[in-house]
Amino acid sequence: MARSDTPKTDPVVPPSAKKLTVKQEREERRRAKVEQFKKQQARAKRNRLIAIVLSSVAAVAVLALIVTVVISNATPKRNPADIDVAGVQTWQDLEYVHTNGPVDYEGLYGMNPPAGGSHNPAWLNCGVYTEPQQNENAVHALEHGAVWVTYDPDALSESDVDTLRSQLPGTYIILSPYPGLDSPVVASAWAAQVKLDGVDDERLTDFVEKYWQSPTVPEPGASCSGAINGPGKIA
Amino acid sequence: MVLEKLPEVSDKPRLSTRLIVAIILGATVLVAAAFAVGRASVPIEPTPASNSAEAGFSRDMQTHHLQAVEMSLIVRDLTDDPEIRLLAYDIATAQAQQAGQMHAWLSLWGLPQASPEPVMTWMSRPTLEGKLHDHSGDTGKDYVPGDPMPGLATNEQMETLKSLTGVEAEKYFLELMIAHHIGGVEMAEAILERSSNRAVTNLSRGMVVVQEGEINYMRDLLAERQ
Repeated sequence: MARSDTPKTDPVVPPSAKKLTVKQEREERRRAKVEQFKKQQARAKRNRLIAIVLSSVAAVAVLALIVTVVISNATPKRNPADIDVAGVQTWQDLEYVHTNGPVDYEGLYGMNPPAGGSHNPAWLNCGVYTEPQQNENAVHALEHGAVWVTYDPDALSESDVDTLRSQLPGTYIILSPYPGLDSPVVASAWAAQVKLDGVDDERLTDFVEKYWQSPTVPEPGASCSGAINGPGKIA
Repeated sequence: MVLEKLPEVSDKPRLSTRLIVAIILGATVLVAAAFAVGRASVPIEPTPASNSAEAGFSRDMQTHHLQAVEMSLIVRDLTDDPEIRLLAYDIATAQAQQAGQMHAWLSLWGLPQASPEPVMTWMSRPTLEGKLHDHSGDTGKDYVPGDPMPGLATNEQMETLKSLTGVEAEKYFLELMIAHHIGGVEMAEAILERSSNRAVTNLSRGMVVVQEGEINYMRDLLAERQ
């Protein structure tokens, strides 16, 4: 067996081990280095993967927390104050005078039909009427939070009126014909009014949602019964 | 000798691990911060405390309203006059319901109906504009804690009312109720100067305008009965 010239830095080979050739020893060392390098690379790659995965998990966790908070706090309802009824007309600083005489709502406030202002001390009991009602009594009901839905009796059939009625709450509503109305249907609350296209106008529901028994009417909580029935009350 | 090539690092430019982690965590912090700022910028009405003006008003005004209810129900049995009876009905039903609203506020605010302080204490405190020494424009300036509420009828007055009938009962009722409404308007104006709570100010604003209107109406009714 030829003895090789071993450099001083060589690892000590146990005497019992087979003596390798120089080439074989160098091969051995190179293989070991390559393996070590590969292991380091693999470790670095693994560490990088771990770091990326962990930070991503943290990010996803934070995101999930935020989404949960947002969804659990999100309420599907909307605040009536934020509802926008297209084409609604409003009035400011209306009077609250109780008077026994007639009130010129058109002349005084530019309203037709009336939607607030001076009114009779007796409110019109809420309900469904087949005949026109006294403005001054109906307006008092508006002060109490009622919505007054008026319709042109020449423009609506009986089934139209039923359609209208089916969209309205059963209390704090006055439904009555108003001859000479310039729209098929007009909905009025205290200081607010919208002229609708017909009984299918979707704005009616929005108007009710925003104004029916609104906390901003002058006398929320006041009664809409116990005063006077107008003519033709059917409900 | 064959030089074995060491496995080479890929030629593609690679972002360092630190950079990637920094980007991910940075983005997360950004999203979280934006969320927090969004939440904080939405105005949320604070819940009033038990010694707040809102709580004091809710308690004292219930008492005040309920006496109006009592007075109205009494006079309805003392006269046939439809105008007086209808006015009494209106006052009784509206103010009873509104007392219920105020009762519910306290309940929803998690506060006791019972006050930790004497009546009217809330009204003797400064307004939102903080006029502690200059009380001009402050409706509550003349009141000290424990004062009787403005316009409240005394026990004697209530007993006197019950002893009357017909026009005499109507006149006495109107006098008591006019004073009662004037006091109610004072209290409502006082809370409007001391609170921006939406539910409270909506209702109090209504109280001011309606009761002022009713004061004028009752003065007319009283004049007709002199």
